[in-house]
Amino acid sequence: MRLNFTKDDEAFRHRARDWLIANVPRERAPHEGMPARRFSLDWLSSCHEGGWAGIGWPAEYGGQGLPPDRLVLWYEEYVRARAPSILDCTFVALNHAGPTLIACGTEEQKAFHLPLILSGRSIWCQGFSEPGSGSDLASLSTTGTIDGDHLVVNGQKIWTSFADIADYQELLIRTDPGSKRHKGLSWVICDMTSPGITVRPIENMAGVSHFAEVFYDDVCIPLSNVVGALHDGWSVAMTTLAFERKTAAMGLQLELSIRIEDLIALAEPLPGTATYERLSDLRAETAALRAMTYRTLFREPRTASDGSLVRLYFAELAQRIHRATMDVLGPAALVDSAWTHDYLESYSETIAGGAAEIQRNIIAERILGLPRE
Amino acid sequence: MGCDLNHGEEQRQILDAASAMLTQSFPVSRLRERRRDDLDEISVFGAFSLSLPENEGGAGFTLVEEVLLHVAFGRHVITSRVLATAVAARLARSVFDAGLARQLEEGTIAACAAVPDGDSILFIDGEDAGPAVLFDGRRLALLDRGDGRGEHLKGLGHSLALTRMPKNAVGVLGETYNDTILAVSDLLVCAQLLGIAEATRDLAVAYAQLRRQFGRPIGSFQAVKHHCANMAVAVEAASSLLDFAAVAARDARADAPFQLAALRRLATGAALGNARTCIQIHGGIGFSAEADAHHFLKHAHLLARLGGTAGMLDLPAPLAPHQTITERN
Repeated sequence: MRLNFTKDDEAFRHRARDWLIANVPRERAPHEGMPARRFSLDWLSSCHEGGWAGIGWPAEYGGQGLPPDRLVLWYEEYVRARAPSILDCTFVALNHAGPTLIACGTEEQKAFHLPLILSGRSIWCQGFSEPGSGSDLASLSTTGTIDGDHLVVNGQKIWTSFADIADYQELLIRTDPGSKRHKGLSWVICDMTSPGITVRPIENMAGVSHFAEVFYDDVCIPLSNVVGALHDGWSVAMTTLAFERKTAAMGLQLELSIRIEDLIALAEPLPGTATYERLSDLRAETAALRAMTYRTLFREPRTASDGSLVRLYFAELAQRIHRATMDVLGPAALVDSAWTHDYLESYSETIAGGAAEIQRNIIAERILGLPRE
Repeated sequence: MGCDLNHGEEQRQILDAASAMLTQSFPVSRLRERRRDDLDEISVFGAFSLSLPENEGGAGFTLVEEVLLHVAFGRHVITSRVLATAVAARLARSVFDAGLARQLEEGTIAACAAVPDGDSILFIDGEDAGPAVLFDGRRLALLDRGDGRGEHLKGLGHSLALTRMPKNAVGVLGETYNDTILAVSDLLVCAQLLGIAEATRDLAVAYAQLRRQFGRPIGSFQAVKHHCANMAVAVEAASSLLDFAAVAARDARADAPFQLAALRRLATGAALGNARTCIQIHGGIGFSAEADAHHFLKHAHLLARLGGTAGMLDLPAPLAPHQTITERN
C-alpha cells in the first residue's frame, strides 16, 4: 500500500494550483436561469483555454486522459482554490453525456457534440426520472414511436436539472412498444429547441428553480440521434455510471473537506465545548470520506456496487455538516445566506441519484449478499 | 510509483496465513469455554517481531502489516495481552531495556494491559506476573507488578479476569509520552476495533441469511438489511481511514497525526455500534451468553479504554482551502 505522488505528479499539482489561483472567478456562481448558464459556460471555456477542461476524457476527444493520480490532484487543488462547484449546469455534459457519447456514440455524434461540450458551448440535461418512475427507473413510460427515420416522443420527465437553460438532453425512452422494464428502452439525444417540448421549472425548497418538468408532445427526434443500439438504452445508461461515480463523485466528496474547514473557521469553538466535540467528529468523518474516495480510485473494487458505500456515507455526512452549520449560525440560521441556502439544498443528497434507501438495498443485496425482498 | 491501496502479494500471504492460524486455533466459539488464550502460537507466528528489521530478528515487514494483523486479532477477540505485549516491546526499547524488549518480541514473556482507576490500577487478564502496560491517556508506562498479587475482580459480564492493585504497590520500569510509540499503540487498538466491526458485520449478515421468520430469511426485510448496510458503511469508513493512518505513520508523513486522530474518533463508534447491531439482529439468542455477539461488545468496551479520543481541531488539515472563509469574504 502506497500513498505517494511522484515528482512529476507534484509538478502537475503546482501547475494546476497556479492556474487555478490565477483564474478562479471571485464571485459566487448564480443558482439558476441564464445567469447560471453564462457563468458556468464562461468558467468552462476559460478552463478549456487553459487546457484543463475534461482532463479525465481520452486525449483523442480533446481531453488529457489523465490517470486517477493526476485527477485526484487536480480536484484537490480545484476545491482548495474554491473553484465553482462541479455540480453546476455543465455537470451532466462533462460527466455523463460526454462520456456516454465517447463510449457508445457514432463518429458523427462525437464529432459534433464533444467539441461543443468541452469548449463550453453547450449545456446538457438528463431526462431519466418520470413522475411514476423515480427509484424504479426501469418502469419509465415516455414513448418514442418509430415513424420513418424519426422517433415521435410523447410523455413527461421530471426533476430535470437545468432543463430550462439546456441545449440538449440525454433522454431515456421506451421505443419498443409493449416492452417491459429494462428492455426496449433507447438513449437518445434530444434537441431542447425541438417543437413540442414544454419546460416548466419547479421551485425547490431552497427557493430556487434549477430543476424542471419536461413535457413531450409529438416531439420529432431523428433516429440518427439514438446513441448505442436502438432498444438498448438501459445498457447505454449504465455504461457511464462508473465514470460518474468515480471521477465526478471524487470532486464532490473532496469539496466537503473544504466545507468542514469553513464551518470550523466560522464556529471558532473552544476546546471542551460540545461544539468543539461535534466539529471534531465531523472533521474525522470528513477525513474518512477522503480516505474512502482514495480507496475507490486506488483499490480494485470487490464488486461493482462498492461505490454505494462511499456514496451513502458522503450524502449523510454532508447533511450532518449542514445541520451542524445551522446550530453554529445561531439567529443567522433564519436569514437567507450561502450557508442556509446550501443547508436546504443538502436535503437532496439522500434523494437524488438513487435514494439512501435504495443505496442501502444495493449494499445489502449486492455487496453483503442478503436476499432480495 | 503512484498511489496503490491494494494489498500487495506479500501482505496477502501473511494475512492469509494469520487468518488460517487464528481460525484453526482461536475460533471465537472458544470464549464459551472461558479458556485463557495461550499466546505461544501467536508468538511463533512472529506477531511481536513482524515489523522489526531482519537484522534484528524480525520478519522485515512494516507497521502497516502489523496493523493489518491486529485487525485479524480483533476479529478473533484475542486477549488484550497481545496488544500489551506489542506495545511493551516498544516501551522496553525506548527505556533502553533491550533484554526485556527481546524477550517480548520473541514471546518468551507476555505483558498484560492495565488502566488507571483512581488510586489503584486495574490489570486485565494478567494472572501470571509479567510486566504490564499502563494505558494512561497520552502516557504509556511499563509496570512491574512484583508478585502480582492483588484484589481479584469479576470483569464486565464475567468476561475478563481483573486484578486491582494500589498504585503505590506497583513499580514503574519506564514511561513515555513519545508520539511515535503512542501512535503505534493507538493504531493497533484501532485496528482491533476495526476487526470487531468487521466480524460483527459478518456474523450479523450470516445470521440474517440463516434465521427465518414469516417464512423468509430475516435478511430479506429492509428493516434488517438496512442495519446490515449501515454496518458495512461503518466498516468501510474506519477501514479506509486505518489504511490512510497506517501508511502515513509508516512513511512518517506530515499528516500522520491528523489521520490517526480522525481514526481514533471513528474506530470506537464503529466497533461498539456494529457489536450492538449484531446483538439486535440476533434477537433473543443475541442476548444470551450462548451466542458469540456479546464477546465482541465486551472486547470493544475494553479496547475503547486503551485508546480513547481527543479533540482534533488543533491539527492542521491535510486538505484545506488556500484562504479561510473569513479571508475570502
